[in-house]
Amino acid sequence: MTRKQRRLTLIGVAGCVLAVALGLVLYAMNDTIVFFNSPADIQAKSVQPGTRIRLGGLVKEGTVQRGGDQQITFEVMDAQASIRVNYKGLLPDLFREGQGIVAEGMLESPSVFRADTVLAKHDENYMPREVADTLKKQGHWQGEANAAPKTQ
Amino acid sequence: MLVEAGHFALALALGLSLIQFVVPLWGARANDPVLMAVAPTSALAVLGCLAFSFLALTFAYVSSDFSVLNVLQNSHSAKPLIYKISGVWGNHEGSMLLWVLILALFGGVVAVSRNTIPMRLQANTLAVQAAVTIAFLLFILTTSNPFTRVVPAPAEGQDLNPLLQDPGLAIHPPLLYIGYVGFSISFAFACAALIDGRIDAVWARIVRPWTLGAWAFLTLGIAMGSYWAYYELGWGGWWFWDPVENASLMPWLAGTALMHSTVVMEKRDALKVWTILLAILTFSLSLLGTFLVRSGVLTSVHSFAVDPERGTFILGILILFIGGSLALFAWRAPMLRQGGLFAPVSREGALVLNNLFLATACATVFIGTLYPLALEVLTGEKISVGAPFFNFTFLPLIVPLLLLLPLGQTLAWKRGNFLGTAQRLYAVFGLSLVATVAMFAFTYDGPVAAPIGVGLGVYLILGSLNEIVTRSWSKGNSLAVAWRKASGLPRSAWGTSIAHAGVGLTVIGIAATAWGVEGLGTLKTGERLKAGAYEARLERVVPRVEANYREDAATLTIFRNGQELGTVDSMKRLYVTRGMPTTEAGIMTVGLGQVYASLGEIQPDGSVGVMLYHKPLVLLIWLGSVVMAAGGALSLTDRRLRIGAPVRAKVGPAAPVPAE
Amino acid sequence: MVIWIILLAMTAAAVMAVLWPLSRHYAVGRQGDPDTQFYREQMAEIERDQARGVLLPSEAEAAKAEAGRRLLRATGMQGEAFAAVGEPALRRRRAASTLALSVIPILALATYEIYGSPQLLAEPPGVQMQQRAGSLDLMSAVAQIESHLAQNPQDGRGWEVIAPVYLRMGRAEDAARAYEAAIRYLGPEANRLANYGEVLVLAKDGLVSAQAQAAFEEALKLEPALPKPRFYLARAAAQDGHADKARAAYAELLSASPADAPWTEAVKQELAALGEPQPAAGQQGEPQIGADDIARMVSGLANRLEAQGGTADEWARLMRSYAVLGQRDKAVAAAQRARQALSQDDAALKTIDTMAQELKLTDAQP
Repeated sequence: MTRKQRRLTLIGVAGCVLAVALGLVLYAMNDTIVFFNSPADIQAKSVQPGTRIRLGGLVKEGTVQRGGDQQITFEVMDAQASIRVNYKGLLPDLFREGQGIVAEGMLESPSVFRADTVLAKHDENYMPREVADTLKKQGHWQGEANAAPKTQ
Repeated sequence: MLVEAGHFALALALGLSLIQFVVPLWGARANDPVLMAVAPTSALAVLGCLAFSFLALTFAYVSSDFSVLNVLQNSHSAKPLIYKISGVWGNHEGSMLLWVLILALFGGVVAVSRNTIPMRLQANTLAVQAAVTIAFLLFILTTSNPFTRVVPAPAEGQDLNPLLQDPGLAIHPPLLYIGYVGFSISFAFACAALIDGRIDAVWARIVRPWTLGAWAFLTLGIAMGSYWAYYELGWGGWWFWDPVENASLMPWLAGTALMHSTVVMEKRDALKVWTILLAILTFSLSLLGTFLVRSGVLTSVHSFAVDPERGTFILGILILFIGGSLALFAWRAPMLRQGGLFAPVSREGALVLNNLFLATACATVFIGTLYPLALEVLTGEKISVGAPFFNFTFLPLIVPLLLLLPLGQTLAWKRGNFLGTAQRLYAVFGLSLVATVAMFAFTYDGPVAAPIGVGLGVYLILGSLNEIVTRSWSKGNSLAVAWRKASGLPRSAWGTSIAHAGVGLTVIGIAATAWGVEGLGTLKTGERLKAGAYEARLERVVPRVEANYREDAATLTIFRNGQELGTVDSMKRLYVTRGMPTTEAGIMTVGLGQVYASLGEIQPDGSVGVMLYHKPLVLLIWLGSVVMAAGGALSLTDRRLRIGAPVRAKVGPAAPVPAE
Repeated sequence: MVIWIILLAMTAAAVMAVLWPLSRHYAVGRQGDPDTQFYREQMAEIERDQARGVLLPSEAEAAKAEAGRRLLRATGMQGEAFAAVGEPALRRRRAASTLALSVIPILALATYEIYGSPQLLAEPPGVQMQQRAGSLDLMSAVAQIESHLAQNPQDGRGWEVIAPVYLRMGRAEDAARAYEAAIRYLGPEANRLANYGEVLVLAKDGLVSAQAQAAFEEALKLEPALPKPRFYLARAAAQDGHADKARAAYAELLSASPADAPWTEAVKQELAALGEPQPAAGQQGEPQIGADDIARMVSGLANRLEAQGGTADEWARLMRSYAVLGQRDKAVAAAQRARQALSQDDAALKTIDTMAQELKLTDAQP
């Protein structure tokens, strides 16, 4: 084989592998990516039941109920809406009422969400980044949340 | 006082680095050996300054000097000594100091390797290295200064993030950083070669040990980090495709490719341009990893620094070095001479394929990691790209690579014979197939992927073994002769085989996770929980108080098929100073597998939620990585690598070369 | 003094590391071409290795042959010969030495001057250690109480004990949380509420927030004669711009207290401050920094924000600074300007509103 032919072979093989990789990435982008939504988003965008999403918001105070066998239900809320979450499993260490969480799972109906993972990743303020961003956007966040009780 | 001297040493290192950057470059241009000789001494002086600076900070931690803001924020006088020391790099500022210290350490080693590196290359390399040091020293001094003081000093510190108070943390970042920063040497060598315009097999032979060393450390660092996440985060997962993990995986993939392409360059003087490019990309990905973790663009357990000022600064460094080196590459690379020829079916061809798959896999990880960030910046839409994406894109690219690995390893240089090579692997194919079928039969109702994965792992191990056997044993020879021949094989050949067998072990470990079982329940004292053949009985829950935390410790007795194996303790801890709860998993090692118990909340009635996992062969995942790193280390000890002796290319498949 | 000698010695050593190779030009010059030298040394090492039996003869042969080839090539490139001697080389060396002698000390000292804390160098290191020895008992006591409280969070008495200790350690926010817990479990009591209010004030650098004011008012309801809440409420009035009301409250407090009461001095100071013209009202700031300094810093911040703009947090800081200084009208003006400057940014406006409400700048509402 001449140098040119060899180079063509190489380019051909590389092109094939890259094309396959690109195909895989594009397909996976359509299929495996999970969108982040707050309870208000779910109402506003009318997300279809059966969609896999990440739900972020605050755990509403007084809504955490523990059933038998680590079956847990609670409500996740933001400023405008709240949604019921069913979860079976161990809750993360930083799960508390009034704190921000992110749950991943399936929307069963517009008001019920079945979570298979619950995360309470956090920065110093015990607030997952996505949740903090959403709340900020809705204007319900102050850096020093407890400093000014009169504002709300 | 020592702290201030340490701070001053940091400033001094900045001045020295500037000299180390300017004078040797000038010397190399003017062909003046006297000026070039400044490079090694100033590199050693920078190392001295940074080592002193680091020791000063360590001293401040050990003596709990809370007048240092960094100590105040990350230490506590009641903390055990080892965590006081590991606390030095358990935070943003200290870890960056460790980063430049390791950078200077590598510079120092290059400086003393006078006998193995030609002077001009050494001078240029150390100058490039100094440029990186300057950038990071400026970053530390202006935005992340670990020596900032608080006057008057508070009496007590705020403690280290409890997740990080763990022996795993004590070693994970240093290992990872040695890996990351080690690639800076390959990068500096690549830039030096581009500046000089000269590059040949000698260059590859000089660079290869550095790449190999950095790669081995990065392998260990990633494995350590994975194991740390596995036992400390309490979810029992060992890899989450978390951006922070991906940040370390990307340079690893690129570095693995680089390690293999330098072999081609060394033996056959081919793939020069590509190798240079890979060296630049690998370090760029290391920088990107540092940026992702350190700038706070991601929020995950690893990123304890959230500060846009820092992020912008590191982004600047990133653009400067990646852009600068790529521009240099674009300008100089066309001048490089064409290398040796090879047929598509040959060892070189196989290594090109290896590079192709690794680079592509790296690219998919890159896309998956950065796409969500880009999308959020551009549209504000938040998405999560998780395990499903990576499993779907990464695995199809890695599995063919693994299938080809034993074949490529057996092919001859320059022009190979595919069928002949395949023939030499018949036994390996056969045995792996038998292993797969046996696994199917053994676990007939289990998951399908696991036996196939195990078969692949067995194939990799046998393929590596086969390489050693066929090179040392031929029909009619006695075992003693074969043994002598095998021990006479170059250490780099053994290293290669061992590292590839390590890949096989890890693959088996990963495949076996599919056989894992788990059980979830709420237990009262004396009650039992089942996970497959394993069972746990809750014995008691006892509160305990330690120096810097209090905990509820649950003791569980583990049974296998009703037979008692022993007890494990699983804890729910509360670190008082930060008010932060953590879970400590109870882990029992059974053979190569582990029984893993994690606690949920403790209810008012004394019952406690327990998650019990059985993870067969899980230890192989990390053991395999350690074997890989050991293979790399063994290769490093090869005498010929150090003095740069050439190795004659193996000509034909049937003719073992006696010189090897 | 000693430390300066050490720093000087460090600098000297660093400069020497550069000057030393530059002064060795005779040795290097005689060596000849470093590249050919490199390959000669490599061949010698291969021979040594072969003699020691580390390399096989065939390997050594190949290695030597290759090194020889490269040696030939390096010798052939004498066209670009190494230039270690001669006039230009001398000039280069001088320039490099000057560079090292100037850049290293100047850059190091300048950097250290900017980012370091040279004023701490004068302080004998022993002092801090002694302080620490004293605080060690305190710290172990705190750790004990903390672990006790972690187990028995309902123990209000424990919270009440630890709160003033936190305050002394400079952790005003923890102290506030501790008093909060104490009030929750032991119930509201005048002194407790007053102490709670006080740590809230300290946590906000002297600003009497709405929350603190509420605590003081409640304390007075329970025990109207208590001096501490009266003092702070007077200060709150001063911060709200009601100077007359504040003066009256201080005077009343002064007349109601015995002459040797510990707070008399502080009250007199506050009164004096209120009596004087506006800028001197900054007396109540940190004692070690003069009122002038504070005023200068605040006006610097104001000028910068005016000229270049800034974040919502910076504007909020400016508002708070004015409020603490008692310059209410300026705080109001700052709030209005901040609203103009940040009108595009909803989140920022929210921050400003929050701060305005916290500072009780009711007339600053849009």
